[in-house]
Amino acid sequence: MDMVLDPQEESALKQIETELADWGNERSRLIPILQMIQERMDFLPPRAIEVVAQHLGISASEVFGVATFYNQFRFTPPGKNPVKVCLGTACHVRGADIILENFERKLEIKEGETTTDREFSIDRVACVGCCALAPVALIGEIVHGKMAPSKVEGLIMRCQIEKEMAERASRKKETGE
Amino acid sequence: MMISLTIDDRQIQVAGGTSLLKACLDSGIYIPHICFMEESDRSPASCRLCWVEIEGHSWPVTACTVTIDHPIAVKTDTPAVRHLQRSALQLLLSVHRVECKKCPANRQCVLQNIARFLEVGLKPGRLQRRLKEPDVDGSHPYLDHYPNRCVLCGKCIRVCRNHDNRTALTFAGRGFHTVIRSFGRFDSDTVACDSCRACVEICPVGALVIREA
Amino acid sequence: MNNGTLRQRYQKLKAEADRRRKASEEAPGAKIRIGMATCGIAAGALETKAAFEKEIAARGIQAQVQTVGCNGHCYAEPCVVIDHPDSGFPPILYPEVSPGKATMLAKLFLQGFDPRLEHILGATVENDMIPAVADFPRFHLEKRVITQKCGKIDPEDIYAYIAEGGYAALTDCLQQRPEEIIAEIKAAGLRGRGGAGYPTGNKWELARGAAGSEKFVICNADEGDPGAYMDRTLLESNPHQVIEGLIICAYSVGAAKCLIYVRSEYPLAVRIIRTALGQASDAGILGESVLGSDFAVEVEVFEGSGAFVCGEETALIRSIEGHRGMPKHRPPYPALAGLWGCPTVINNVKTLATIPPIVTNGADWFRQIGTQNSPGTAVFSVVGNVTHPGLVEIPMGTTLRSLIFDVCGGIPGKKAFKAVQIGGPSGGCLSEAFLDTPIDFDSLTKAGAMMGSGGLVIMDEENCLVDVSRYFLEFTQKESCGKCTFCRIGTHHLLEILGRLTTGDGSMEDLDLLQGLSEDIKAGSLCGLGKTAPNPVLTSLRYFAEDYRAHAQEKRCPGLTCRALMTYYIDLAKCAVGCEACVGVCPVEAIFTTSNRKKGIDQEKCVKCGECRVVCPPEYDAVEKVSPPGLAPLVERPAEPRKQN
Repeated sequence: MDMVLDPQEESALKQIETELADWGNERSRLIPILQMIQERMDFLPPRAIEVVAQHLGISASEVFGVATFYNQFRFTPPGKNPVKVCLGTACHVRGADIILENFERKLEIKEGETTTDREFSIDRVACVGCCALAPVALIGEIVHGKMAPSKVEGLIMRCQIEKEMAERASRKKETGE
Repeated sequence: MMISLTIDDRQIQVAGGTSLLKACLDSGIYIPHICFMEESDRSPASCRLCWVEIEGHSWPVTACTVTIDHPIAVKTDTPAVRHLQRSALQLLLSVHRVECKKCPANRQCVLQNIARFLEVGLKPGRLQRRLKEPDVDGSHPYLDHYPNRCVLCGKCIRVCRNHDNRTALTFAGRGFHTVIRSFGRFDSDTVACDSCRACVEICPVGALVIREA
Repeated sequence: MNNGTLRQRYQKLKAEADRRRKASEEAPGAKIRIGMATCGIAAGALETKAAFEKEIAARGIQAQVQTVGCNGHCYAEPCVVIDHPDSGFPPILYPEVSPGKATMLAKLFLQGFDPRLEHILGATVENDMIPAVADFPRFHLEKRVITQKCGKIDPEDIYAYIAEGGYAALTDCLQQRPEEIIAEIKAAGLRGRGGAGYPTGNKWELARGAAGSEKFVICNADEGDPGAYMDRTLLESNPHQVIEGLIICAYSVGAAKCLIYVRSEYPLAVRIIRTALGQASDAGILGESVLGSDFAVEVEVFEGSGAFVCGEETALIRSIEGHRGMPKHRPPYPALAGLWGCPTVINNVKTLATIPPIVTNGADWFRQIGTQNSPGTAVFSVVGNVTHPGLVEIPMGTTLRSLIFDVCGGIPGKKAFKAVQIGGPSGGCLSEAFLDTPIDFDSLTKAGAMMGSGGLVIMDEENCLVDVSRYFLEFTQKESCGKCTFCRIGTHHLLEILGRLTTGDGSMEDLDLLQGLSEDIKAGSLCGLGKTAPNPVLTSLRYFAEDYRAHAQEKRCPGLTCRALMTYYIDLAKCAVGCEACVGVCPVEAIFTTSNRKKGIDQEKCVKCGECRVVCPPEYDAVEKVSPPGLAPLVERPAEPRKQN
């Protein structure tokens, strides 16, 4: 039940608490408010659920019940590079399950999980609506169409290289200038 | 206004606006049901047991969702009705841990009663039994919940009211993984669970039990 | 209401729209229109746009780059139309314009006046110089009513819509009595495009006549079918046509408040609708006084949080009210008691987009399209194993054969057609015997499928119907709300049985169980989702019984799809000595070199992804698929693998 938030998440939640008044407190605001929190924090920490319940004057149980009903809401933080594999119909008939499996194998996690270094997470999504490009996978917001199992490793490597380059750049900044 | 109904071979008079299920039950005609509660105005119609056939309809309908506003002729015991009732019961039993001797609802359990009424056993027939993990959910400070007994009729949620008129119970998750849950911090100022036993008393299958201190 | 004022207000908007259009048309230089809906962007339209812009700036070419919506030719994305009057050529549609192609076209066509005819799809207008796309079967078999302006106009510019005659229908309607509009819609025979085909006019009439001063209209854009994207494309390509239909509906039923319920998984659509609503308010088309009349209406956007069941009317309402989206028993129908208990009309995106053309052209015109009982057009997203996947709009009554083979180019790769799945998770799989079935609400229902949302998945001989049924059941099972017994528990058992069959653990008794359980779920479930969930199973059991029997009895997958029942092997007679193509792509290093320097597959390691088969050069074509796996010849890995230095 108690989840330790990192300082950044802690302050984001504090900030959200102060803004809630502007969102109105009718019951119908529940889902838009949860969406706003998820948008800003990438997930719904348990405390956020209690904060929302208090704001709307309903029980935390009810908020939890609603949040767990919808696919959009998650209760654990996603990876920095969230991988979403589309398992829509068009992707399925073109072998999406094999793409998903390949991500799982390379990252050594299952769908719904996050790597221990919190770099990657894998989720399946129902359909992102790019059926003509099937099979499709998303990393972050970027859509990769016409996927093949052999492309998986390259995509993961690209994320890792980008991260290393960013780190090197920031180190250079610290030491150099 | 009183309306006259023909139920099987009987004629009964009921007030317009009542549900057919209530009318039958009030007249001593038993129709299997779980989720129906007399007090609530709109039945959730979720257990899918109270099937009847109404003259002029080609397929059975659930009696709890029929509001009586004109005279109708109803049959409560046709092959189609019994088939759907047995099928629904079998589905409920396929996710039910049958350990009646250990269960507080033994001998007053709605599943036992309906099975007896429909003349079937407590085995799920050709379906394989699928139980949830864990067997007991102890996350509530006062209650133990047994998801493998629960039939998800939702009566506990409907009767649950705390001091602040908020419910401590909810459906959580979705689909096959739906469970009854409570969430959040409990303090005795608002939460009435230590003295209120409404949910435990209404549970038809012994899925909610006060935890022994 | 003062009709004169109304017309004046509209004329003023139209004049401004015409002025802007003229200015744009008369601006010197070429116009480059890039399709930038989600599918275009996914295919790289942003990079294409950047490449054009960069090259134009670098070369100092006089040209404007414009963004438009999707024209439906998803197979050809990114699609670009170049209108270059100075070159003497008509506007030309180019398919699959990569950044490299963009740079080349900027140089050679925009600057050098050479349209590079080998890269074109066709001209967008009839002319004497190059073939027009209108002459292709896809273009002349289509009939665009709903998607007519998609891909032609900038969806983020209300004046582009008005210049095309947009909002004239609304202006007309506001000068009529609501009853007259409803009568016209009823006369047109329009049926709801969301799936079940309930007559739209009747729904409006019911809500109009319902007691209560507060009424609502909801546009259902919670497109949840996992293989369909018509609604998204429409909202991304021409949001104003939907908004116009929505306002006409609100005026007709007497609602002052409308909601557009759109999936939050469609971020671009959400953004474009919000922009469109803002522009409509600024133009005086929404708000206190619509076009200066005394009709007031406001439109809000509600983002759905991802639950297929929320496409069901009562569940959708529950979720707007801030609850779990669990359906309620109907009746009462939402038209009488819906959102907050008030009369509520819920119409699909395509239904609403059909309203303005009907008002403009009349009910008789609409009735001339389509069939007697299903007038108008149907929009499908055709996907799967088909040559030209994409979005098509055809008159109702077109046969499946014509749609699949003429409009969409048939099955690629010399494979045979096997099945078409219509209507998504609620629909059915039809076999070749049904190819001449006309596409309309009643014929499809009769065949055991349904119009549904408009998703159409084409399957070839290498697809397995048991696997496809398992796929759909996995979806509905996951998306079941969990409220009622049959759907919650029944679909779970169906999925388990189908799972057993695909892994070779099923039996012939399982087939009876599937049939019986499916019928019970259909008869016993509370809402439309549950009642239709068994359709993919029931139809495939009926039309593809042989697939099921092979799985249950022979443990064989005729479509060579179910991975537990098939395997890959390399035909040593075809494999070329020294070729290493397959080795590099294997994700699990299952391919080894045989003693005679050919390749073999280690069946223990193989995950059956099929990559080796894809890359094996066509002149060898050495990788074969078989089912059951026992048929594959055994190739031993040499005891000591050859070492290369």
